[in-house]
Amino acid sequence: MPELPEIDPIVHGRLRLALLSLLSGVETAEFTWLRAKTEATDGNLGAQLLKLEQAGYVAVEKKFVRRKPQTLYRITETGRQALTEYVQALKQLLGLAMDGESTFHTGSS
Amino acid sequence: MHEHTTEHELRERLSLIESMIAEGRRKTESWGWTFVLWGVVYYAAIAWSAWDRSPWAWPVTILIGIIATAIIVSSKAGNHPETTLGRATGSIWIALGISMFLLFLALGLSGRLTDQHVFLAAISAILGMANGASALILRWKVQFACAVVWWAAAVVSCFGSDTQSTIVFLVAIFLCQIVFGIYGVIAGVQRRKRHRPIHA
Repeated sequence: MPELPEIDPIVHGRLRLALLSLLSGVETAEFTWLRAKTEATDGNLGAQLLKLEQAGYVAVEKKFVRRKPQTLYRITETGRQALTEYVQALKQLLGLAMDGESTFHTGSS
Repeated sequence: MHEHTTEHELRERLSLIESMIAEGRRKTESWGWTFVLWGVVYYAAIAWSAWDRSPWAWPVTILIGIIATAIIVSSKAGNHPETTLGRATGSIWIALGISMFLLFLALGLSGRLTDQHVFLAAISAILGMANGASALILRWKVQFACAVVWWAAAVVSCFGSDTQSTIVFLVAIFLCQIVFGIYGVIAGVQRRKRHRPIHA
């Protein structure tokens, strides 16, 4: 029986996965833009971004633009690598599912 | 803690990744209003130049269009992330605005803006180039169709009569600025309606 690939529990969370995917397509993004795209609450969004930051998947930059505070997020190289590996693991698992498997054990945060 | 992950959930995660990446890259649809605005600017310039043949008609209306666009863009700027794709397409339209302003200002002031056919062919070809480049970058067939309409208008301007070239130019503005712009706005609104909240 083939070995099941590991799924990164940090990346696997729905909102965190959405955030990493969004950030993978842009250079930097503001908190407000991420909130608009995910329609998550401020508290939930902030908490998930903090988890990604603590994992080293996302970098944060705070600055003032026209005297208004702006928080910019960008995906790090580690984050991009984690997302790529996650997609590969998903495809592998789905390949196995096509061969008969239907349920998998994954680490969860 | 461990949980069971079903095949359905894995597929849902994959489609979430695809939709979010596309969401991050999709910007042009949210710029539909600029096409409508510039369609109105071209119609205003044509009406003004037909009314009193002023050499200032095109440079002044284009300058007003640039200022109006800049004001609206700066008020919306904070909501858009920076992307390489966005910068690439944005730079095409900024360069187009500068080129048209300088060309028509110089042609108007030098008094060499006398041949309507050459004028319409030049403006149509420039707009065809910008739409074509943007469509190729974004792989957007609808915008490429607009580029084809502009290129056709440029050719008709060279071979058609005064009336024919004017009608084709007015139709091209209507299709490629007004209709395409409204299509972009509607597509953006529909996409936002389909959008569902994402929970942790």
